[in-house]
Amino acid sequence: MESEYAIETQDLTKVYISQWKRRQVRAIDGVSLRVRPGAIFGLLGPNGAGKTTFVKTLLSAVRPTRGNALIFGRDASEPEARRPIGYLPENHRFPTYFTGAGMLDFYAALSGIEASRRKKLIPEQLELVGLGEWATMRIGKYSKGMLQRLGLAQALIHSPTILILDEPTDGVDPVGRRQIREILGRFEERGVTIFVNSHLLAEVETLCREVAILDKGKVALSGKMQDLTAGKGYRLTVAQPPEALTEELRGRASSMAVRDGLVDFQFSSRELANGAVDLLRAERCEIEALAPTTSTLEEVFVRTVQK
Amino acid sequence: MVTLALIRDTFREALARKIFWVLFGLSTLLIVFFLFLLRIDIVAGATATVSLFGRQGPPDANTDRLVRGVYGGIATFLYTWGMFLAVFASAGLVPSVLEPGRIELLLSKPLSRTHILLGRFAGNVLVVLLNSAYLVLGVWTILGVKTGIWSPGFLIAIATTTFIFAVLLAVVVLIGVTLESAAAATMITVALMIISPILAQTSLMMRLLSSEWSRNLWRVLYYALPKVYELGKMTLDAIQSRTFAGFAPIWSSALFGAVMLSAALAIFARRDF
Repeated sequence: MESEYAIETQDLTKVYISQWKRRQVRAIDGVSLRVRPGAIFGLLGPNGAGKTTFVKTLLSAVRPTRGNALIFGRDASEPEARRPIGYLPENHRFPTYFTGAGMLDFYAALSGIEASRRKKLIPEQLELVGLGEWATMRIGKYSKGMLQRLGLAQALIHSPTILILDEPTDGVDPVGRRQIREILGRFEERGVTIFVNSHLLAEVETLCREVAILDKGKVALSGKMQDLTAGKGYRLTVAQPPEALTEELRGRASSMAVRDGLVDFQFSSRELANGAVDLLRAERCEIEALAPTTSTLEEVFVRTVQK
Repeated sequence: MVTLALIRDTFREALARKIFWVLFGLSTLLIVFFLFLLRIDIVAGATATVSLFGRQGPPDANTDRLVRGVYGGIATFLYTWGMFLAVFASAGLVPSVLEPGRIELLLSKPLSRTHILLGRFAGNVLVVLLNSAYLVLGVWTILGVKTGIWSPGFLIAIATTTFIFAVLLAVVVLIGVTLESAAAATMITVALMIISPILAQTSLMMRLLSSEWSRNLWRVLYYALPKVYELGKMTLDAIQSRTFAGFAPIWSSALFGAVMLSAALAIFARRDF
């Protein structure tokens, strides 16, 4: 069955019942999300919001109490529905008896890739993530960042059309992060759907075009990144304004920050920003910059989960 | 291809656990012992001299009896220490695959949970089958060449050892998927091995037990649990070319193993990870 969505959940609910059935924990509660093919989608939420449970239901590692999770229109509990998925788990524990090449060979075989194709793909994938020279080394010797890159190679080796990445840059140094972003960029160009679960908001902001914020098991906010972070206000940067004027503007601005002899005033509307410019020019103060600003994802996130 | 990958993975993990090398090393030691240290001189079909570590022992009038005695000893070794080591080594192989961070990745692949668990089960059985075959075939070949006696009865030890291991492994798998504890799996399985010769004394216990209730409980336990002891005895009987009572220990043990494995598969299929 073809579907217009790569990932679709309908009223997805998971209630964990404690061993003696005295306590119920609603990990996710009626989550309905749709991810279009080719989208880069970020799932955010504070600790315990249900992000991991949500991802696990997409992989059928967790059985939903109610609702369903569909991958290209097929129920995620069907093994064939998971064929298009490449998955990088959070806190992965790859068996240390594998070499890098051995691990890729194993997981590629489980994804149904023939031995002859695996032989060709494994060196390519290791090169792609910068581990070409480590192919025959046991992964017990790999650093956390290297394991993360190997995990990514494992998720990519069978050319998936959906990538589900749980904290993909966790433990990776800045150079490695950039490399991972570049790799994901290439897969985005190929039309691969990328679903990222991360607590690194800046990372998600850079990478994703759409986001959903889960809070207490429910979707608190979802939409396109540009819509969620747009329409914040204006930032006015001034060089050493007089103290009295600084105090005056501080009262009108929503926030103020001092850095290297410059003062940044944040105004919530164009009128307030223009009024501040008039005051500064009247006092013959130097204006360094005036620019419209958007909300950061962090601000959107904090506002959403603190409601 | 997928099944083969799962079996190969179990092999890799088994080899990474040193205890499988210990089992292999013990088997090799026994083979080397028979290859170099035990010398048997046969004159006119009977043992003229037997020398061990270069020292001559009393000749046995019947070489065939000697060879069958050795086979019986090897089979007993396989049944006791070999089985214990195999269970001990295998107990961690199921919980390890259920570790968080590993199981989710396996479950994300396009294969059923039944396939994952059966692949691991088959790989484990195959490891023990190869180890048993290595020891039994090695000793059988050496003694056959040295004595000229090729007793095929000994080869049945490969099948019975692997069979009873598979039955016990079903228990290991069930405990593994429910409790995720290698220690619990080992304790319960070894307890089944220990209780088997005790339960086998059914006719004696029927006379000793005073109440009908306790006799019925004993019968239920006897018929329900795997017949490790009886299968061992059947193997020895086959080696000694003796007749055995029947095949009930085989099918009842197989039934027990099938029930345990089915329960493990059902629980594994419904679990959240």
